[in-house]
Amino acid sequence: MVQINLPQNSKVEKGKYFKDKTGSKNIRKVNIYRWDPSTGKNPRIDTYEVDMDNCPSKVLDLLNKIKNEIDPSIAYRRSCAHGVCGSCAMNMDGKNGLACTKPHAEIKGDINIYPLPHLKVSKDLIGDLSTLYKQYESVEPWLKTTSKTEKENIQSKEDRAKLDGLYECIMCACCSTSCPSYWWNGDKYLGPAVLLQAYRWIIDSRDEDRKERLKKVADELKLYRCHTIMNCTNACPKGLNPAKAIASIKKMLATS
Amino acid sequence: MKENNPLSPHIQIYNWHVSSLVSISHRITGILNYFLLIFICIWAGSIFFGEDAYDIFKLFLNSLFGKFFVIGFIWSYLFQILSEIRHWFWDVGLGFELKTSKITGVLVIFGSFLLTILIYSSRGFL
Repeated sequence: MVQINLPQNSKVEKGKYFKDKTGSKNIRKVNIYRWDPSTGKNPRIDTYEVDMDNCPSKVLDLLNKIKNEIDPSIAYRRSCAHGVCGSCAMNMDGKNGLACTKPHAEIKGDINIYPLPHLKVSKDLIGDLSTLYKQYESVEPWLKTTSKTEKENIQSKEDRAKLDGLYECIMCACCSTSCPSYWWNGDKYLGPAVLLQAYRWIIDSRDEDRKERLKKVADELKLYRCHTIMNCTNACPKGLNPAKAIASIKKMLATS
Repeated sequence: MKENNPLSPHIQIYNWHVSSLVSISHRITGILNYFLLIFICIWAGSIFFGEDAYDIFKLFLNSLFGKFFVIGFIWSYLFQILSEIRHWFWDVGLGFELKTSKITGVLVIFGSFLLTILIYSSRGFL
């Protein structure tokens, strides 16, 4: 269901203002979405003045700096800090991405940081992705074979190349949570991340369950809610193309 | 997950770009064209009801608002057609690269306006 407005308990209010204490001349304002589950209050936007002379280049560095030096109460996920784990996916400057690979110099004006869009917030910048993980499980992301053979299951170089642009996905959910179709129908529509994964197993030459996989995904809501809005491809921090993967599934279904 | 957890902001904060703009416009023009086609049918049907009925449409279409209506109609239709051509290419798996999709999106937007001007300004010659 399309619901443009946020529910009453999700309306964002003005929060605290943290003035710079370092006396730095190179200050940037950082607005961060905050929600504390223990208070029962609405979410708010806290503003931090950050000394940019002593801050490394990425948005994650900026968040770490705020957490270490200004406000230790702020919560966000992070792990590898090198764009591999996908933990620090969030909405920065109106676009989803990984905080660890997004340079804050690319953002003009105040730096606005929100959790990934249209998720139930657990705390501050942490969104609940359990629906997406369940959907991921539903495409059975593993090799399925019925034939029993003693030999190694070999894949040609050409067949292996078909997985390029798919296997690199780190499941950060930047694409799915950027997709308006997924916002409105996230409970039924699988979303770009999961469909890209579905295609990754459909196209794998070693998999023997292609027909069943295609049949399972060929659904008005699961697949065809993709209207090629292209937000997913625009958002992907790994430069992958979920929109194209979804189109490939549609094409396979139309031509098979 | 508890029921009272807030929903994170979505359309309120997400940036627009060429493809998402063309996508939503494609939908809006699609709905508009549906009603505009009905209008054409009624307009054509008015002929059967004689000159008086037809004159009402003539009066309306020659008024300032009528002209705006016609131009809007032409644009809405052209936009839909151009955007649909873009979708045809997508359907066969072409034009998904970010750069290409951006260029084709811009072509749809500017093309629809350009063709509207061309068609409307050439009405005297037809």
